[in-house]
This record gives sequence, C-alpha cells and structure tokens, in this order.
Amino acid sequence: MKKIAFKTLGCRLNQYETDALASRFHSGSYEIVNYSEQADIYVINTCTVTNQSDQKSRQTINQPAKINKDAIVVVTGCMANNYKDSLLETNNISYVVDNERKSSIYSIIESHFRGEAADPEGFDKDLFNYDAAYKTFHTRSMIKIQDGCDNFCTFCIIPKVRGRATSRPAEDIYNNIREVLNYGFKEIVLTGVNIGRYKDQTTDFEQLVENILNLPGDFRLRISSIEPDGFTDRFFELFKHPKLTPHLHLCLQSGSESILLKMRRMYTAKQFSSMANRLKALYPDFNLTTDIIVGFPGETEEEFEKTVSLAKSLSFSHIHTFKYSVRSGTRAERMQEHIPEKLKNHRSAIIRTISEENKRNYILQMIGKKQRLLVERIGSDGFARGYGENYIPVKVKSKHLEKNQFVDVIITGHDKNFDGIAILA
Amino acid sequence: MSNDNLHDLLSITHLTDSAYILKMSRRGLQFRAGQHILLGKAGSIHNREYSIYSGDTEDFIEVLVKEVEDGLVSKQLKKSKPGEKMQIEGPLGFFTIEPELIKTAKFLFIATGSGIAPFHSFANSYPDINYKVLHGIRHGNEAYGKKDFDAEKYISCTSGDKSGDYHGRVTDYIKQHPVTPDSHCYLCGNFNMIHEVFDLLEQQSVHPDQIHAEVYF
Ligand SMILES: Cc1cc2nc3c(=O)[nH]c(=O)nc-3n(C[C@H](O)[C@H](O)[C@H](O)COP(=O)(O)OP(=O)(O)OC[C@H]3O[C@@H](n4cnc5c(N)ncnc54)[C@H](O)[C@@H]3O)c2cc1C
Repeated sequence: MKKIAFKTLGCRLNQYETDALASRFHSGSYEIVNYSEQADIYVINTCTVTNQSDQKSRQTINQPAKINKDAIVVVTGCMANNYKDSLLETNNISYVVDNERKSSIYSIIESHFRGEAADPEGFDKDLFNYDAAYKTFHTRSMIKIQDGCDNFCTFCIIPKVRGRATSRPAEDIYNNIREVLNYGFKEIVLTGVNIGRYKDQTTDFEQLVENILNLPGDFRLRISSIEPDGFTDRFFELFKHPKLTPHLHLCLQSGSESILLKMRRMYTAKQFSSMANRLKALYPDFNLTTDIIVGFPGETEEEFEKTVSLAKSLSFSHIHTFKYSVRSGTRAERMQEHIPEKLKNHRSAIIRTISEENKRNYILQMIGKKQRLLVERIGSDGFARGYGENYIPVKVKSKHLEKNQFVDVIITGHDKNFDGIAILA
Repeated sequence: MSNDNLHDLLSITHLTDSAYILKMSRRGLQFRAGQHILLGKAGSIHNREYSIYSGDTEDFIEVLVKEVEDGLVSKQLKKSKPGEKMQIEGPLGFFTIEPELIKTAKFLFIATGSGIAPFHSFANSYPDINYKVLHGIRHGNEAYGKKDFDAEKYISCTSGDKSGDYHGRVTDYIKQHPVTPDSHCYLCGNFNMIHEVFDLLEQQSVHPDQIHAEVYF
C-alpha cells in the first residue's frame, strides 16, 4: 500500500480541501501518514497571503527531499497559482497543481502510477468536485460553499490566486452536509473565501444558512469567517436559531476610516462597530473574533490608535494580527510610505497584547455560564477537550465522555492560557 | 459574450493634454453601470482598474483615463492606436445602484477628476434617474463629459479658477449647500475628497448605508 502525507498551510478553505483529498486517497487504498514520516507521495497545500506564508510554504516543500528523495512531491494551493513558473523549475517538485485543479490530485497521482501522462494542465478544472470528507483531521466538518473573491482589497492577492467569486450549487451543499451528518459529524463549518457573497440563483447567503439550519439532525452550524459587508436584518435574526453558533470571525483589518478607504474595504469603521454592537446587544455573550492588519502603507500613529481603540471597545476575544506584507501586483504595492518592519513589529505586539487581555476578559465573563461542549479528544490526563458553541476552548474531567459527543457543561474557571475549565452541567 | 477578453480599440479621443477616452468594441460584455474593468494592452502583463464610462445600452465600451505623471499604464494606454487589441478583465465591483432605487430615490454623485466616469455611465444607462452631480476639478476644461449630463443637474466646482459653475472645492459646495438626508450619495475619485465628504455627509445626517465610495488613489 502506498503511503501519502499531507501538509496544509493557511486558511480553513485549504484545510477543507486537504481533508477532502485525504479522504479520497484513504478510500482509494492509500495509507495516510504524518508529514514528518517516510511516504511515497507528499502533498503540500500552500498559502501565499503574506511573505511569511511564502517562506513557510517553501520550507515545507523542501522537507520531503530530506526524508525520501524519490518521493513524488505535489505542490498545490495559492502559491502554485502565484509562482507557478518558478515552482515548475524547482528540482524536487514533481507536480504543480493550481487551485482550480486541486480536486484532481487523486486522478493525477493515479495516472502517474499507471505510467500515463499526468500533466496537471490536462485535467479538468473544478472548484467544488471534492468528496465529502468522512475522515478528517478534525471533529468539525468543513463544507466548501464558495470560492474566489471580487472585492479586490488593495492589499490582497486572493482574487489573483483564487479567482473570481463562484458559488457552489445549493443542492450540492445540502447533499454534502447530509452525507457528513450521516458519517457522524456534529458540527458543520461553512468555508469559502468570501462566503457572505454566496449566491446560487435565488439562494443568497442568508437563505442558504436558513435552509441548512432546517436540515434534520443533531448538529450545530458555524459560519466562522465572514466579510462584514451587506448584512441584512435577516442575517442578525439567523442567530436566534439554536443550531447556529453565536460566534463570528468578522474581519476588521483596521479601525481607521482612512485606512479602510485606502484598503478599499466595503464598510466603514462606524458601520463595523454598529454591526458588532448589534450582535452583542441581541446576543449578550456573542463571541467576536477578527483579523487586523498593522502597518498598512501610510498608517500613521493616529490611525493605528483608532484600531487599538476599536480592538479594545469591541472586545474581540481573539485577534489574528497580520503585519502588512507587500504582495506583488496589488494596488497597495504601488502606494507610498511603506512602514518599516520594526514599527510593524511594535504595532503587532500591541494588538497581540490587547487580544490576550480580551481573551481573558471574555472567559471571565463566561464563568458560571453553560456551554454545549463538542468533545474533540480525551487526553491522557482524563480531560475531555473541545469547543463550546461560543467557540471557547473548554476542558472537563469525566470518565464517561467520548469523542464527538455533545455534553452540557458549566464553565467554572480557566487555565493559564485562559482556556475554559468546566464541570458537567 | 466573447470567449477571449480581447477588444478592438475603436478610437481614442483626447479631451485635454492628459485626459482621453478609449472606445472599444463591446463584444457582448455585460456590466452594471458603476462597475469597472481591468484594462491593459493585449499581451502586456500590466493592467489597471478603469470605471466604465459608457452607458449599458451602447454597443461599445468606453473608459475615461487621466494620465498620471510617472504612471505606467495610463501612459501606455495613451499611446494606443485604433485597431490595436486591448485586454479587458471583468466587469468588477459593487459601486452600483440597487435596481429598485433607480426610479424612486434621489441621488447625489460627487466626483473629482476622472472619477466622473461611473456617473457618466449612470446618467447614460438610467435616463430617468433623479440626480445631481458635483464635479471637482481644477479648471473648466476638465469638465469631462459635461455635455452628456442634464445642464441643470451638473455642477462643476473649479478650485483653480472661476470658470466652473461654482468656484471652490466640492467640500466647500457641500458645506454651503447641505445635503438632504434622503439622498443616496456616491463618491468617486481622490481619497482625500472622499474621506472629507464622508465626514461632511455624516454631519449632515446622511445615513452611512446611503453613502457609497469608489477610491481611485
Ligand atoms: C476601482 C477603480 C477604478 C478606477 N477608474 C479609473 C478611471 O475611470 N479613470 C482613471 O483615470 N483612473 C481610474 N482609476 C485609477 C487607475 O486604476 C490607475 O491607478 C491610474 O490610471 C494610474 O495608473 P498608472 O499605471 O499610470 O500609474 P502607476 O504606475 O500605478 O502609479 C504611479 C504613481 O502614481 C500614483 N497614482 C496612481 N494613481 C494615481 C492617480 N489617479 N492620480 C495621481 N497619482 C496616482 C501611484 O501612487 C504611484 O506612486 C481607478 C482605480 C480604481 C481602484
């Protein structure tokens, strides 16, 4: 039996696609092994969103040659789109497969072993032709509903590497979800690049979510990462449904109106605040997490302070902080007054500190409250660990719990990382 | 719709020393007024965003370009000759008007320089639309497309001389002529103007959801 190893960098969408590929190889009689182990095939699903992700991707691509120099190395993901030519010239890479053909990797490898031509360009493009992952590296099942983005934020390379916004047919999504629920998954996470822009004929994002919530089964649905533009009243109402988890990763990027305009984001800081405050007013323990970019070209101290102030006042329980990183071909690349790395590091540290404080405050706010924990693993220390519906990491001690089980718990405290400690409710 | 993205350049009209209109074959390209395209010369790896200037009923596509000093693409495009192939990607963008509002709402369009382009497309695509346009320019000769707007709906605000309908910047005009809160405001062009006007409109009680911005630079 041939051995295959996967490594994913970057976003949830990549993670979903790797899970689906792994599942396909598993049912095709390949043995899945860890990336650090000896394998016949290594698949690296790369990311190119920042310089740092480029570096990590390159390091990861170079690893297999040290373990098995005869292995087939397949590079896919956003780097494969962004740097195709240079990757093709790299010695230890066997195949470079762009995002549009990622779902064909199984067929490409099969052709390779049959000794047939396996030029990836000869395989069909299909953004959604992924099997439902019946066995993933997670308890949550990600479901791809959309790919690509048309927003063209001035800093962002995604429209170039993921292409235009495309929505998956709604019926395929419902079928995919029915399938994973049958496999026993209890949490569905919607993934895509810009899922709020979902549109399949008359089904918009809100309608899609509503239809998914009305599917039968004991499961919960997480929207996860979404762009804060174009929310209707209906969107806010959706969270009344008990199956929809009260958590959103709502990407702020900056708290400064002027920087948001220069980024060509689709909302103002005031609009963002009012959306966030409305969610918190309707659902008091609603958990908001976010992305922030520090050191965008021309960002002044005053503009950065606006971000600091919003990061505090909206009390995001987690802030994914990015230092602005020049991406070739974007409008921001051609902007004046790029910020020195040292200042970016300084600003990044400030935001990270706020993120930690916010996380602490949020868990303190949740003490004494009930959460429905989905058990992801049982540790050797006897603790069952997983996430509550508000996306709080929680651990609880009990002898009778199993992986992939819902259990009601009450948060009683936190550990040194400010993750929740709970007792059974 | 064409299956490649190459369009013939039909003509190039120079409006001033630095501003020009490129007229290209449409080849079935569907767009909504207010959207932009990514435009470059065929075979070039460089392209830039340009708002569509023409109306959605025309059988051609036009863009209005202002040559930028030290600019790459705006200079390249200026040297194009009719008959050359141009590469178009798109249409893109969300700087559009909700169809249900076109016949009922009141619009204020505020532009600087070549930022007039999407408003030219609005006015040509929606002949019955109820609008007023403020065009911020330095001198009267930069009132691109003025003749295509209803004379009583178009106000040029010239900051460099008194040749416009109003002498001063668009921000001065708005301070002196407050905007009614029922207006749907579209702002296009220079970042500084948009930033300032946003604040002014909010002070004048226009709801942020009724303010739309397209920042060129
Ligand atoms: C959505 C959108 C729509 C646009 N529509 C139009 C349009 O309809 N007509 C139009 O003329 N332009 C439009 N632009 C601007 C256009 O995309 C280019 O930025 C502009 O033509 C300059 O490109 P360039 O290659 O010549 O200059 P670059 O080589 O990109 O830039 C050279 C230098 O000039 C600065 N710069 C860039 N743009 C400008 C500018 N407009 N004025 C002054 N300095 C600038 C840059 O910061 C840089 O330092 C639009 C931009 C966007 C984002």
